[in-house]
Amino acid sequence: MAEQKVELFARRLDHGIQKAVHSNSAAGTEKRYNVLGTDYSAPDDLRRLAGQIRQHSIEYLDTYLEQAEQSLKRQGAHVHFAVTAEDACRAVSDILKKAGAKKVVKSKSMISEEIYLNDHLGTMGIESVETDLGEYIIQIDGDHPSHIVKPIIHKNRRDIAKSFEREGLGDYNDDPETITRRARVFMRDKYLQADAGITGANFVSAESGRLVLVTNEGNSRFCLAAPKIHIALVGIEKVIPSDADLAVLLNLLGRSATGQQLTVYTEFINGPARTDRPSGPQEMHVIFVDNQRSQILASDCREILRCIRCGACLNVCPVYRQASGHAYRSVYPGPLGAVLSPLLAGKKFKELADLPKASSLCGACNEVCPVDIPIPDLLLRLRNRGHQEHAPSPGTPPMGAFAKLASSPLIWRFAMKSNKVMNLVPLEKLPLPYLQPWLKTRTLPAWRGGEFRSWMKSRHKK
Amino acid sequence: MSTAREQIFSSVRAALTPLPERTPRPVFSKDVAEPKWLAAETDSLALFQKRAEATGTKCFTDMEACASWLRAQAVRVVYIPPPLTRLVALCSEFCEVTSEYSRARVNEIDAAFTPSAGAIAESGSIILSDGSTPDRLAALAPWHHIALVSRAEIHRTIADALAAMPADPNLIWVTGPSKTADVEGILIQGVHGPGAQACLIL
Ligand code: SF4
Repeated sequence: MAEQKVELFARRLDHGIQKAVHSNSAAGTEKRYNVLGTDYSAPDDLRRLAGQIRQHSIEYLDTYLEQAEQSLKRQGAHVHFAVTAEDACRAVSDILKKAGAKKVVKSKSMISEEIYLNDHLGTMGIESVETDLGEYIIQIDGDHPSHIVKPIIHKNRRDIAKSFEREGLGDYNDDPETITRRARVFMRDKYLQADAGITGANFVSAESGRLVLVTNEGNSRFCLAAPKIHIALVGIEKVIPSDADLAVLLNLLGRSATGQQLTVYTEFINGPARTDRPSGPQEMHVIFVDNQRSQILASDCREILRCIRCGACLNVCPVYRQASGHAYRSVYPGPLGAVLSPLLAGKKFKELADLPKASSLCGACNEVCPVDIPIPDLLLRLRNRGHQEHAPSPGTPPMGAFAKLASSPLIWRFAMKSNKVMNLVPLEKLPLPYLQPWLKTRTLPAWRGGEFRSWMKSRHKK
Repeated sequence: MSTAREQIFSSVRAALTPLPERTPRPVFSKDVAEPKWLAAETDSLALFQKRAEATGTKCFTDMEACASWLRAQAVRVVYIPPPLTRLVALCSEFCEVTSEYSRARVNEIDAAFTPSAGAIAESGSIILSDGSTPDRLAALAPWHHIALVSRAEIHRTIADALAAMPADPNLIWVTGPSKTADVEGILIQGVHGPGAQACLIL
């Protein structure tokens, strides 16, 4: 029988990587569990509230997106809209070209991965440097992140030391502290020389127009300290009603992602520099990206748009832990990715329609999700859609004959009775190799097909 | 041809119009996400110190202690904005003091004092704003950063701080030193920002 692609990948995965992903994920799950337990007596109530805030936000997206746009403009930011990934890339390079910008520093943003921004900027002759340590290593290795919060969970220090040596950042040294210091020195110059800083946004408050960014390294802050232009790429679903909602969302985001009450840096951006506040970038551009999100909003899987990208569902997922992120063949791995990636694929849905099947539907992802997304339900809806669209389905036993049999009462009745002939066949003589070992230790009960029906009938007569 | 903006808004509306009902905006009290241990903490200053130390931010309440920490750290060039004359005198004893943050000296200045826009007791965070910090780099690039926090500006909770955000282009809550765990999950401090984060409470 053909295997599922995720399963196949997991089986071929290097044992060291598999162990690292497993233990790092498990540690993340434990930290999250401990901090929520220490801090809240009813964390599930809080998750449900956060889920409701986000569900409300996306179901009133028409209102809030427009409000966010107005608020951003009011404080002096330029607002752009991009329908597709290509449009978004072009919007970025147009801004850069117009300003004559050649060098860009980037802070980690999943949406820029989603639209392959770095590749696009490369073809435009613009240097774009990832500044998050993990993302930088991904970039120099020509690799892809395998976790949305911990991008290089699949690499060990020796791999990294080799990459740094190759890039001329010093002799081979695999001490994590040395690696980090070298990155610090290297990035310094990049920040100071850059013409523009590109970031994502974790939230956008419609009422105030504030963009919220959370990081631990401080790189997003650096991207907005030296360069003169700030470009923020934001998925349209990131909008929330107001700053007050952040009290709930921020408190859950840090704890769910890394077990921290708050990440080290929580940054609120409220427009470009002003004459009385001259320190930051003079130009601020916000690009709202659709890239299939409005289609997801129209589907029966719209709940996935609540996601705040904490990564808790990846950490807890037994399939993710075993298979690691690259098994999902897409930017978003794990349970989140199993739902989101096929949806983002749009017309190419079928190519990723196997992902929703890479789950035992154990429900752990739903239990840890800070915005209470019913991921298992969404996986089932997508399996259904895959079936309707006749997506290939390796790993599913052929049920066609059984379905015919079971849906025709006449044939079913006949089969039940006539199968009694099986009782006369010596099973151990059947030429079915995979059956033989099983039969060595077990005996099948005699076939009694059809007896239930007879019993029911005679019961009615009485 | 319609613009991208119109296209997006019309698909969003098309997606939402068929919904039989929409999820209402939940009503919740401001303190809904407060940790359960918060009520027992009555003194905001003490709580701030406790939480700040727990996340790796050193807290000083007098200038002498702060200056001798910098001396022990073998700091070479410290930026101190006016008018902190007493601090200038204390630090001049062991290192160069500059009252101007020049970007040409980004890699030389290894310690900087900058005023803050307050703090948050619940999380032990320092609040920096463009209004209070003359140059964003000053609070970010040096290895040692010491925020000047005024006792009167300590918010008790995260929700309080959110409700009182000044209309500043940039506001940042700093909760501990810059850190990463990207390499094999091992915690390293001082990635891009300060490796030693401190505050001086005045
Ligand atoms: S689906 Fe939920 S748990 Fe998974 S990343 Fe998104 S918010 Fe976190």
